[in-house]
Amino acid sequence: MNSAPNFAVVGHPNKGKSSIVATLSQNDAIAIALEPGTTRSSQSYPLSVDGKILYTLVDTPGFQRPRKVLEWLEAHSVSASDHSDTLKAFVGQHKDDERFTDECELLQPLIEGAGIIYVVDGSVPYSAQHEAEMTILRWTGRPSLALINTIGLEDYSDTWQAALGQFFQVVRKFNAVRAPFEQHLSLLRAFGQLEPQWEKTLNQATQYLSKQRQQRRSQSASIVAKALSDMMSYQEKRTFAQHENVSSDSDQGELAGKLSKCWYEHQREREQSLRKSIEHLYQHQRIRRQETELNWHSAQDLFSQDSRQQWAVSRRYLVTAGFGAGAIGGVSIDALTFGASLGTGALLGGFMGAAGSYYYGAKLLSPALKIASFGKGLTTAMFGPVQDSQFAYIVLGRAVDHWWHISHRNHAGRDLLDLVQGDNHWIEGLDKDSRRSIQRTLDKIRKQQPTDESLQQRFTEAVQECLAVYEKWRADKA
Amino acid sequence: MTNRCVRLLLDFDACAQRDSGQDSVFLHRRDRKFALTCEEQGEKPTSKRWMAYINRFNDAEAESRQALQTLRSWRRINSSFVAFGTLFGILSMLGLLFYDGGQRINITVIIAFVAFQLLLALFTTVQSLAGWQPWRLVLRRFQKNAPNDIKTKLQPVLMAKAAQLGGLCFAFAGLLTLLTMVLLQDLAFGWSTTLETDAQAYHRFIGIVAAPWAWLWPLAAPDLALVEATRFFRASSPDTNINPALWGQWWPFIAMLWTTWTLLPRAILYFTAGLIVERKARRLLATHPAAAALQYRMQTPTLETGNEHNDSVDLPDISQQFALSPLPNARVLLTWAGAHDTALPQTLNADKMVVAKVGGSMTLVDDRNTVAKVASALSKKSSSISDTKSKTKAQKPYEYTVKTPKSEDKKAQASGQEAQESAAYKPSATTSTILKTSLKADDHNVLLVTHSWEPPTGELEDFIANAYKNWPKTAHIVIVPVATNLQREPQPHHVQQWLRFANRTLPDFVSVSLLPTDEVSSVLQDIQHE
Repeated sequence: MNSAPNFAVVGHPNKGKSSIVATLSQNDAIAIALEPGTTRSSQSYPLSVDGKILYTLVDTPGFQRPRKVLEWLEAHSVSASDHSDTLKAFVGQHKDDERFTDECELLQPLIEGAGIIYVVDGSVPYSAQHEAEMTILRWTGRPSLALINTIGLEDYSDTWQAALGQFFQVVRKFNAVRAPFEQHLSLLRAFGQLEPQWEKTLNQATQYLSKQRQQRRSQSASIVAKALSDMMSYQEKRTFAQHENVSSDSDQGELAGKLSKCWYEHQREREQSLRKSIEHLYQHQRIRRQETELNWHSAQDLFSQDSRQQWAVSRRYLVTAGFGAGAIGGVSIDALTFGASLGTGALLGGFMGAAGSYYYGAKLLSPALKIASFGKGLTTAMFGPVQDSQFAYIVLGRAVDHWWHISHRNHAGRDLLDLVQGDNHWIEGLDKDSRRSIQRTLDKIRKQQPTDESLQQRFTEAVQECLAVYEKWRADKA
Repeated sequence: MTNRCVRLLLDFDACAQRDSGQDSVFLHRRDRKFALTCEEQGEKPTSKRWMAYINRFNDAEAESRQALQTLRSWRRINSSFVAFGTLFGILSMLGLLFYDGGQRINITVIIAFVAFQLLLALFTTVQSLAGWQPWRLVLRRFQKNAPNDIKTKLQPVLMAKAAQLGGLCFAFAGLLTLLTMVLLQDLAFGWSTTLETDAQAYHRFIGIVAAPWAWLWPLAAPDLALVEATRFFRASSPDTNINPALWGQWWPFIAMLWTTWTLLPRAILYFTAGLIVERKARRLLATHPAAAALQYRMQTPTLETGNEHNDSVDLPDISQQFALSPLPNARVLLTWAGAHDTALPQTLNADKMVVAKVGGSMTLVDDRNTVAKVASALSKKSSSISDTKSKTKAQKPYEYTVKTPKSEDKKAQASGQEAQESAAYKPSATTSTILKTSLKADDHNVLLVTHSWEPPTGELEDFIANAYKNWPKTAHIVIVPVATNLQREPQPHHVQQWLRFANRTLPDFVSVSLLPTDEVSSVLQDIQHE
């Protein structure tokens, strides 16, 4: 027997029932509209672990004729003890009656034992006009929780809270579009408190969700780190026969133009694929549809001056990070001399790293064209990899920002993403070790040297640290 | 064994590459299912089992072909090393044993050559362990693989193994050449060095070199007498007093020297290289990024939050926009579902035959009574208001400007969402005239005030249907949605839901108007004063 609890999300039409379900089930493909009657039949959204259902949310249509239903119920009931049976009889008798389709759809899961999640809109004034609905719900005898979802800008939630307290065991405020993840978990725990036997299951579910979120963060870091490596090491190549002479400056200029165009296009596509990966990871499948509407996707191009201004790091940052990264390399010289060099290797490496970072930091997106003879009458022209480490910080900044928006976006959200201009750079909060790991990896990629597993691991950890730092930076700004 | 490990690694890598484009949720579900199946069957979820599991329904040949191709290319490299090693082994030994009858074959040179071979063998091993590839720059130009490719990472150890195999063949061919030469020719060995070394010191050195086999084959460890007798100097003439057979007595030493210090180390190092390849393949498999991800997917329960259902395209059609009607004069005012809670303007309440609450907390019986009461009131007036209805309906309605903007709204339209919010109901230039006409007209209308934010429900539809059935044919319901703040107009999307409702219910019987604000209010006030 499956004892997993069901929760029917019910209420007046157009109060955000589907939005609540969309956010809690992480499903951005649920139809949500400002038009009443968007949900025309009940739909189950089970949360399962390894195929075992822990709980099910049931989205239902809103009440259409509650007074008629109540009139029928009252006419057919003898005493309070037969309320739930009378309700069952109502659904049985009216399931084919078009007028009561919505009522039957929403009452069916309650008859089958679902808990009640009654949703109201806290942005409109409280009205005692929905008493018929609440009375019907009370007739079900099921445990109930009222949820004040604030759809509009005004806030009447306190009045609602005081009024709903008289009808419902628990009353919670929950903004389906803006509630942070912690509130999702807290709400689910509140669902568990409706019945003692549900508590354990719901707590278990919240633990799984919490773990999944942590894991998503670390997976995001891996995805970003991989994309960053790919983009930094990318080389656009063309091989052609040596008789196709490209020795003159104009020919080389034209060739460089063609290659750079392809190179830029590839980088843009790679960034888009990174974004899609992050969005899919967080189960935002529908953002792609909106993407064309996103101003910042098109206007704030990866290579635009705006992007550079916003996400590039300072020269001071580059020099210090470069010094740290170079010093690590120099330590190996000291190790070879068993310390006899008294740290000169580290110091020298540090200075070289700092100088390299400073120098290459100024090379704005100018991966030079290289032409090499390939033998067998073939010549290869190569464009890239990019020598500008600022490019990596721009990609990193944009990726981290996009991740933040996606990871903090509820699935009920249908609004467009926006960017904020910061007055200080988020990366200033990054610790020295992470800075060094990032810079060292970037240097290696720039020099086309292979990076071993441990460095890749440290790089991924540093990117994960970037996510944490950025999240804190956003929280401080809010 | 070595090949099996490398094959496993290459197959795994190919599978991982194939999976790289897959959705992470799908991969998690698939691999977790595999782990649970293994757990059920009491088996360990190894990489090999995993590949067998995922390839059950896939065409695994592509991956297999890829791995075989790599192994085949290394087999070719190994064969080349074998061929070159054998050839160089023969040539080197022939070179070392070159004897024109004038000079002796110098034992010191052979020992130095053997030492060099030993050094090379050790260097190859150390180099592979350190992963140093002096040929990398040369290979980079030709290789197709990325620097981080698994095949590139295997390259140093596989190359070292190939080199050791070449060395082994070199040593073996050298030994066979030596034995053949000993058999076929009369070789004269001696020792010589520029250094002032006496025979005793040289014998001690030879003793150290021959130590590994001296106990096994004493003849292969030359004694002092032989050492003393076989020293030669290039500048001096050959000593004819020495028994010529003595020159040939060095060959067992040479054979054992070659076997022990060239052949044997190469054989051991070749075997070691095999173990190193195996270890490297195992380590690469264990540290493969896909392996860690696979491990995680197998160990972590799959969590599905119920996001399979998709009805995002099943949205109500809200593309059609409808126009508002001007607010007419009316002698009946009904408030639906608590709309009376809102402090309605005096102008709306004044001079009404019937003012009643319907819907919401009122009972259905109350609603039916109200319908009857209004029907009775309208019947009394129906004859006098019939003309007015046609007049009102002919008037130009207010324009709800979202769909068909006037020129002044076009700019706002262009700026998207914000414009939509602001482009609410706007009275046209003829507002005052229309309003005055409406208010002066005799009243056949029923104003039904609703909360604009509450959606129209089935109950309202029933109420309207009941009214339509019971009221005179000239009667007309005007829904007046009001905002929380009467000074402000309802939000456009709220108004539109009422317009759509009116249009789909009984469009000839129901229309929607808004309460006037600001300018319109002042007109109302003027009319009241008149």
